[in-house]
Amino acid sequence: MSTTTLRTRPPLTPALTAATALLATLAVAAALLALGGYSPGDAFAALFRGAFGSWDRFVSFTLVRATPLLLTGLAVAFAFRARVWNIGAEGQLHAGALAGVAVAVALPGTPGLILIPATLLAAAAAGALWASVPAAMKTGMGVGEVITTLLMNFVALFMAQFLVQGPLRESRGVFNQTDEIPAAAHLPDLIPGTRLHLGFLIGVLIAVALWLYLTRTPGGFRLRAVGASPRAAEVSGRFRAKPVVWLAFLTSGAIAGLAGGVQIAGITHRMYENLSPGWGYTAIAVALLARLNPLALVVTAIVFGALSAGGGAMQRDAGVPEVWVRGIEALVILAVLTVDRSWQALADRGSRG
Amino acid sequence: MRHHLPATTTLALAAILACSTDREATDTTTPGVALLTPGPVSDAGWNAGAYEGLQRIGDSLGLRISHQQTLTPAEFDEAFISYADDGYGLIFGHGFEYQDAASRVAAEYPEVTFVVSGGSRPSANVVALIFQLNEASYLAGMAAGAVTQSGVVGMVGGVEIPTAKGTFVAFEAGVKAVREDATVLETFIGSWDNVSAAKEAAAAQLREGADVLIHNVDAASFGFFQSVREARERGRVAWAFGMNRDQNDVAPDVIVGSAAIDYTGMFLRTAQAWRDGTLGEPVYSGLATGTVEFLPNPAREGLIPADALERIDRARQAIIAGTLEVPSIDFIEKEDPVSSQ
Repeated sequence: MSTTTLRTRPPLTPALTAATALLATLAVAAALLALGGYSPGDAFAALFRGAFGSWDRFVSFTLVRATPLLLTGLAVAFAFRARVWNIGAEGQLHAGALAGVAVAVALPGTPGLILIPATLLAAAAAGALWASVPAAMKTGMGVGEVITTLLMNFVALFMAQFLVQGPLRESRGVFNQTDEIPAAAHLPDLIPGTRLHLGFLIGVLIAVALWLYLTRTPGGFRLRAVGASPRAAEVSGRFRAKPVVWLAFLTSGAIAGLAGGVQIAGITHRMYENLSPGWGYTAIAVALLARLNPLALVVTAIVFGALSAGGGAMQRDAGVPEVWVRGIEALVILAVLTVDRSWQALADRGSRG
Repeated sequence: MRHHLPATTTLALAAILACSTDREATDTTTPGVALLTPGPVSDAGWNAGAYEGLQRIGDSLGLRISHQQTLTPAEFDEAFISYADDGYGLIFGHGFEYQDAASRVAAEYPEVTFVVSGGSRPSANVVALIFQLNEASYLAGMAAGAVTQSGVVGMVGGVEIPTAKGTFVAFEAGVKAVREDATVLETFIGSWDNVSAAKEAAAAQLREGADVLIHNVDAASFGFFQSVREARERGRVAWAFGMNRDQNDVAPDVIVGSAAIDYTGMFLRTAQAWRDGTLGEPVYSGLATGTVEFLPNPAREGLIPADALERIDRARQAIIAGTLEVPSIDFIEKEDPVSSQ
């Protein structure tokens, strides 16, 4: 954004819009809560305390919850930058989690220095493999990836159910879950004494790497050019769109798959049928709010992590039922997106001068 | 111009926080009891029962109570830790799926007691709560054997976990104790809340000739009962059994009876034992303690023939006396050293 002054009008309107949107949302949420017989003050205070109440809450809850959102968000953002509408992060995450758990369980007695990379690489590879199907259908047959990636999510979810109930079921054969992965495969703590594991750092490093790639390398320029206009890029004769599309699909799938592996190795240590509450879908909102900028995504993932950690606290400390919490969360997301668009409008007006 | 917004936001947040400052965040002087459920407490079954139990603990024992519904395993640790940090001394995880997280967190909070319903790995401060619902389910099976005309009886389950499976092996044994030649169908729909899948599974069993059906699908039971009701509207003979909680009032027109758990009593007794310091070994609770019971539907009196009711009562006495062993599916990990206290 340019800092040119010489504005013809004070750009107050977008700011007002944003503030109004936010306040209106809070008012609506408060009114809904009050109608349901819950104290809005207690509910919002609980939300805030649950997410930021103490250093430990922030690190052990908010950042832990932000980790899968950060990784899947990066996956979505990278693909979207190349105009590849990958809606399939959820499925790629499940494929990654399954592959990660299968490798970790199959290699007991392997030292962590080998087992952890093996687990995470298997997860990333499986995610990329899952994304390669819609990639091939798009580049080979021109089938739109919005449909194919979305449908591949359902295939992945059913595959997870099948594997957890069958071939990958725990050796005791009692519950629908896999065996626990060996302790050597557990991700080390990032901050000792908290629940935050190495996965968060991996996410931040990938964010930096993607940002550098997109803004500082010829490959990144090519990807952005194809993303801006695939036809124009082709017509210019300097870029071929197909390899870029493949790169976007495979990288995106690998990062989403990694998210699944990180969640298994860092938190759950097993695979269940309902591993994800829909991170791969929330990731789209996380990525859009960050305007597909990998560095901004670190912040937006934390915002969404805080919202979901705070939601738990709303249940515990203010007695607000889970469905209400999810409704309030959705309202807040809408408000944040509205505010964001208003800021965008403000910035555009500012740069036009 | 941009910094006007954060300012507005901060003001709004401050206003919200101000609303709540007159109330103390947490009252940590009263001992607290917390409950985690894997599903909504509006399911008229497994979760609703536990929630009623929690409320009774608050009312009868004057303890501080709180509840959270969790969605995915990643949230389990977080919820346990939050409650333990906030001074809750007794935390119920209402389902086998809480076992891993309870074991992990319990190691960090030795002064807090964790109770896992259907738990499989008890330790010093992790108690397994085992509802022997299979005993009541066996009695329901006997009633089904007496009521069925076609001799085909159906069972629709949610996720195939040992506790659900256990109620079905017992139900089948009960049916066959009364009617040796009966055919018993079994379907697991793979979910606890997929109403349409439960409805379809029940309809399929009805098409295969079943005229008495039992479920163990929790919140999806609304679809199950609907299926049976629709079959009756088409003039067929079709009856259903309730499960987990006394569901006789959920669908009084189609229910023969319910194999029910008295969660309220069980939770209250557990909390009392915890307060008195006598809670320890896995708590098994069945017909003998009155925790589970087969309850014929009072709105359908006479549906189960009197001689069958007598037989059911004799079986109940035999189970309590220990002379009749009901099939079950055991899931306590024996290889794990259960700490002796």
